[in-house]
Amino acid sequence: MTDTAPVISVHDLVVDYGRGKKKVRALDGISFKVMPGECVGFIGANGAGKTTTIKVLMGFIFPLKGDVQVFGEQAGTVASRRRIGYLPEVALYYPFMKARELLEIYGGLSGLSKDKLKEDIPPLLEKVGLAGKSEILLKNYSKGMQQRLGIAQAIIADPEALIFDELSTGLDPIGRFDLRSVLLNLKKRGRTIFFSSHELTEVEALCDRVIIIHKGRIVTEATVGELKKPLNLFEVIFSLPEGVVLPTSVAQYKLVEEGNQQRIEFNNVEEYSRAVSALASAGAVIHRTFSKTRTLEEYFIGLVEGIEGVGDK
Amino acid sequence: MRPVWLIAKSVLIEAVRRREVYVIILLSLIVIGGVMSVNFFGMEGLTKFYRDVALEVMSIATALMVVVLSCRQLPREFENRTIYPLLAKPVGRVSFLLGKLLGVLFAAGFCFFLFMLIFLIGTWYLGGKIPWIHLAEYVYLQMLAMTIITTLGFLLSLIMNLDAAITIGIIFYLTANILTTGISYIYDFAGSVGKVILIIMNYGIPQLTLFDFSEKTVHAVIWRPLGIVTLCYLTLYAMVYIGVYFSLSMLLFRRREL
Repeated sequence: MTDTAPVISVHDLVVDYGRGKKKVRALDGISFKVMPGECVGFIGANGAGKTTTIKVLMGFIFPLKGDVQVFGEQAGTVASRRRIGYLPEVALYYPFMKARELLEIYGGLSGLSKDKLKEDIPPLLEKVGLAGKSEILLKNYSKGMQQRLGIAQAIIADPEALIFDELSTGLDPIGRFDLRSVLLNLKKRGRTIFFSSHELTEVEALCDRVIIIHKGRIVTEATVGELKKPLNLFEVIFSLPEGVVLPTSVAQYKLVEEGNQQRIEFNNVEEYSRAVSALASAGAVIHRTFSKTRTLEEYFIGLVEGIEGVGDK
Repeated sequence: MRPVWLIAKSVLIEAVRRREVYVIILLSLIVIGGVMSVNFFGMEGLTKFYRDVALEVMSIATALMVVVLSCRQLPREFENRTIYPLLAKPVGRVSFLLGKLLGVLFAAGFCFFLFMLIFLIGTWYLGGKIPWIHLAEYVYLQMLAMTIITTLGFLLSLIMNLDAAITIGIIFYLTANILTTGISYIYDFAGSVGKVILIIMNYGIPQLTLFDFSEKTVHAVIWRPLGIVTLCYLTLYAMVYIGVYFSLSMLLFRRREL
């Protein structure tokens, strides 16, 4: 496998749940790739098919149709899991075990030696905010602490790729911040990250690329920049003193009269800049310039509403 | 082999830290202690009676613990989703199930160890001679029986819910101990259809009484230890059932969606 080969390759994946009349199509022929070093966010509403896709990647459920590969190996095989760190959406850890013991087991299963684990576990626990908690039974851990431990078990063997299902479930704001730091650090070190999340601000902050899934189908796949670009909103509010004529280059845009002031909206930063320069050169009084970038959340809601037909109402 | 051992270790840690093992042992201790206070057999009779009851209690208590522990392993993993991070590591499902099997056997071994301590202390207190070879054979054969019960527990827990699996497991244990002995008595009196059913039961249900060496351990003065050939046959017999139950469990578990 070369460096340019995808870490995750999903082609025409179909997954059904149930049988006969109760059969529900969870994934309907989705295809996508995640390249080495990329951080990709997998977004979708509840029941869109995010967890199902991740479960197929991990070999927990079996597709009806399609080809799913991880590091060039068939998804779900032992070989494919050798280079992945995985955090499930919700997982409890053995309540009668201590964090150190649990990490020794997970690390051992990942092929780390006893000596290496002895050396690595304390700083790892510190990294996820569980320093000094290694000897506490997990039944006494809070949900947030369990989630932090989940992150620790996922990154214990310093895997080349991380697959996180619902990234920050159960974490408080501090936990989210810590997790973001850990992920940014991993990203800087060239690790491939693929995660599903409801927290679109998180996706926006971390991801290079976003895949949006809706009702088992991929509806958008683009970089965060690309998604936000057509939605950038720029505004200039100005007035024309007596004798000043609206430049012809600006007159082509739709003017909204607001008292003795006028307002123009732009979706393109270049057009906006040119118009502001032209207005200033012509002697117009610029009262306010305004730029607003819509969030990914707004984009996502708009997209889903558009698909569902809500936007047409 | 390391993944198998690590998964077994997780089962053992849980078994050792849960209180129920100690509750079972404590209850057994009360029964055994009660026996020791009864002294109407004379000292020699009491020693034998003590051994008889202690070994019987040991077998039943360990078997019940094994039934519960083995039936619980997989459903608990599914229910609590602890299986996800485990199977996300480079561990095959066969290794996972083998680890669980080994773990339950370690737990049974731990139980036997505690019981043995009680047994040996009691025998020493009563001044009896300890039949070491008989005792070793008794433990070995019991462990074979526990392995059969464990693999059956896995199988049951994969085809029915936890409560049903435990109930059927206990019924199976009792049936395998009592009914299989009874089959040979009632066979001659059964009709042709009855005989076929009895034959099916005879081979379908492992005869756990074959692995009960307690009587001979109690009367070690009269009985010699088992020969190596007999032990090999018994091991082979157990392996057939272990193989069948484990393979069926594996077939179900391999394609199970999580």
